[in-house]
Amino acid sequence: MNTLNNFLFIALPYIAIVVFLVGNIYRYVSTQFTYSSLSAQFLEDKQGFWGTVPFHIGILMLFLGHLAIFLFPEATLAWNSNPVRLIIHEGIAFTFGLTVLIALIGLMLRRLFNKRLRVVTSKMDIVIELLLLTQVILGCWIALGYRWGTSWFAADLTPYLWSIFQFDPQIQAVSALPLVIKLHIVGAFVIVLIFPFTRLVHFLVAPIHYLWRPYQVVIWYWDKQKIRKSSTAWTSHRPQNN
Amino acid sequence: MAGYTETKRVSLLGLLVTLLCMIPISPGYAALPGEQNFQQHCGICHTVGSGKLVGPDLAGVNERRSQEWLETFVKSPQAMINSGDAEAVAIFAEFNQLPMPDPLLSAAQIKDVLSYIEDVSETLPNPTAAINPPAFSQPAIDQPIDTSVEIEDQVADVSTQATTEQINHGRDLFQGTVRFANEGPTCNSCHDVRNDAVIGGGILSKELTTVFSRMGGPGVRAILGRPPFPVMQSAYLDRALSEEEIVSLVAFLQYADQEQLNHQPRDYGIGLFSSGLVGTAILFGLCSFIWRGRKKGSVNQAIYDRQVKSISDAEFRARHS
Repeated sequence: MNTLNNFLFIALPYIAIVVFLVGNIYRYVSTQFTYSSLSAQFLEDKQGFWGTVPFHIGILMLFLGHLAIFLFPEATLAWNSNPVRLIIHEGIAFTFGLTVLIALIGLMLRRLFNKRLRVVTSKMDIVIELLLLTQVILGCWIALGYRWGTSWFAADLTPYLWSIFQFDPQIQAVSALPLVIKLHIVGAFVIVLIFPFTRLVHFLVAPIHYLWRPYQVVIWYWDKQKIRKSSTAWTSHRPQNN
Repeated sequence: MAGYTETKRVSLLGLLVTLLCMIPISPGYAALPGEQNFQQHCGICHTVGSGKLVGPDLAGVNERRSQEWLETFVKSPQAMINSGDAEAVAIFAEFNQLPMPDPLLSAAQIKDVLSYIEDVSETLPNPTAAINPPAFSQPAIDQPIDTSVEIEDQVADVSTQATTEQINHGRDLFQGTVRFANEGPTCNSCHDVRNDAVIGGGILSKELTTVFSRMGGPGVRAILGRPPFPVMQSAYLDRALSEEEIVSLVAFLQYADQEQLNHQPRDYGIGLFSSGLVGTAILFGLCSFIWRGRKKGSVNQAIYDRQVKSISDAEFRARHS
């Protein structure tokens, strides 16, 4: 058991970090054009909107929430020391978890039943979506079944994670945690490990500057006259809008 | 070529795993003399000749049990209990069904600790008879266990003289309305206790309503002073509780134990789940509201609709002309 814990909580995180760094740099340098996510038709606003938008809001908030507790454990404990604030904190965190769970299931069903999406779905897309789904289910389970996670994360997991980055891994506490929590932690390392080989890389090249850049005028660079000729532009369907 | 590249990648990964597994794990695993390991891992709950604390007095244990049994038990008490070993199960039952955490010691370190216990036992007048006095004795919590000291009898039940202020202070500390001086996490981060004045606590660790009657004041004091459980140890590393805080917490836990029938248990699970459902519905509603102006059809939908409408109008005019 000790050997397994050593592997999962010492070796695995270091392997994951090294593969993450090397893999991302290698992919970005060698095949930069693929360094994004193949379109999942995310501008499709009937089904896609209800999955894509809540999913991305939820997953970003969960990521930032975990990051904040990792970076500011003392502030987290201070905030949670007031019972009302603790309950609000947990309620909001669980809300985002549940939102991600529902939206992700919706997105996966859409990927399953939408023929256009199935064409552009790779095996790695399925792997990462199943892994994310497992992580979210485990996270919701932990939030409900091992309360109050935001506090003991700051007290126990933050020191463990910092010990990894300080090259002095202290795994006594994490080794003694319940299996569900261990699985959640290991799942997180596995996501970091396979990150460079998945569509998740778009997270690192997200066009954040779109939020404040000036509007762009988009003009079709087509020969409209040619398109209007049904014999040349469309062979099977006569266009309706000429 | 592809096969060669793949092989090379796999080999590099294998090399990486091998190198990482060869890295010394942590100073905590370094070999230490038996005494130091005893103080660090065992002395919180056990004495050698000074009576039982949270666990049994270990004086003469080398004569009462075989070396092989002891080594197996110390390596992983919980595995031995789960395997159904009669003696291990009996000890587990006798000591409040509180499982001894695995100390994460190597076989050599365990041998060192056992020989240290044997050495100390031999200096005692009657080592085979473990002293099991009333549990109200323990060395000073923040001092290393001195197995030569006589049992102190002045540290009786700490809460028999507990004042209302101490109980209230302990309650506030438990749920965090008053922070610990060293800013450690509040007790209710992981523990629950049945008391109407306290919000529902965490359920990561043991429910503490009856901890006082199960372990006694000294047992609770010992755990609060030098936590024997790895998760609790990590949480209070460099954030130890003060003597005054421990006394207040013990006072509150004794009060909660005595008054438990007058209080209702609280389960926040359903409430948390419900609030999550409501919150999610609100979030989806907000998304719908904020992006209410989004284009719901295809980009050319408006053009298509206009075209269909113009065709319909033309047909209508043709029919009625």
